[in-house]
Amino acid sequence: MAATTEHGEQQHDEQGDQEEERTDAPVTTAPAVSPAGTPRRRLGRIAMAVSVVGELLITAGLVLGLFVVYSLWWTNVVADREADKQGDKVRDTWAEDRDTGPGALDTRNGIGFLHVPSMTKDEILIRKGTSAKLLNDGVAGYYTDPVKATLPTSGKNGNFSLAAHRDGHGAKFHSIDRIEKGDPIVFETKDDWYVYKVYSILPQTSKYNVKVLAPVPKESGRKKPGRYITLTTCTPVYTSQYRYIVWGELDRVEKVDGDRTLPKELR
Amino acid sequence: MYGWIWRHLPGNAWVKALISLALALLVVYVLFQYVFPWAEPLLPFNDVTVNDQ
Repeated sequence: MAATTEHGEQQHDEQGDQEEERTDAPVTTAPAVSPAGTPRRRLGRIAMAVSVVGELLITAGLVLGLFVVYSLWWTNVVADREADKQGDKVRDTWAEDRDTGPGALDTRNGIGFLHVPSMTKDEILIRKGTSAKLLNDGVAGYYTDPVKATLPTSGKNGNFSLAAHRDGHGAKFHSIDRIEKGDPIVFETKDDWYVYKVYSILPQTSKYNVKVLAPVPKESGRKKPGRYITLTTCTPVYTSQYRYIVWGELDRVEKVDGDRTLPKELR
Repeated sequence: MYGWIWRHLPGNAWVKALISLALALLVVYVLFQYVFPWAEPLLPFNDVTVNDQ
């Protein structure tokens, strides 16, 4: 479509130019309007160059516009589809070996789901690692580098540090700024609900600030070992200038019952 | 540039318009499928992790 309108405009300009040129020519032969379908006119080299450059600039503008559409819409479509698929697979695996009782944690497909009712009503699949490739599937990843996350399932003190996209690729942490102190963060595994309470928020920090991932994140105000959770994503929205950090502390662990009844925070 | 393409397409105006549309869609497909996924990691919009590099 763009090509046709482009062409129309250019044609118009060419005709305009020509009319101006023709005012110098003898009056008798100059038609008031150049008839349609005249053989291609000779454009000055400069005019030609200008029109090509103009068209290239318009094209560049359209491509940039499309890139915005791609980043903010299409990557979400693709990522949500992928995340749903992977999430379903994890739930299927859980359902299949329900009767075998608690077994070794399978970290291959995803270790569980994150529920943050104040941020999103969707569940977020959690997988191992924070590589771009993994996070682009619309999941949250727990850190293995530079500071290794301590999984709550291990039962040890430490920090369960997670990252997910703020915009595009599922944008799972898009509304992280809606989380307030005291809000619940629930991590669901096959056998347990880990209910965390948010106690500290750092709205902006350097992307090199790896101390926020420490087993005892001092910046959050806690000095003693405990069982913490850390959510990290980029901020301000649509950029990656800084990082937004939310810290929570384990409140309690609930056993999953036969009907997978939600803990009261999620009801 | 576009004028040149238009003149080199076969058929009458309708056929040319249809071919143009098909070409435009092809370009969008190639951009979404190959060019943008390649370009995205090179642009500073989507880093979400903290790291020491």
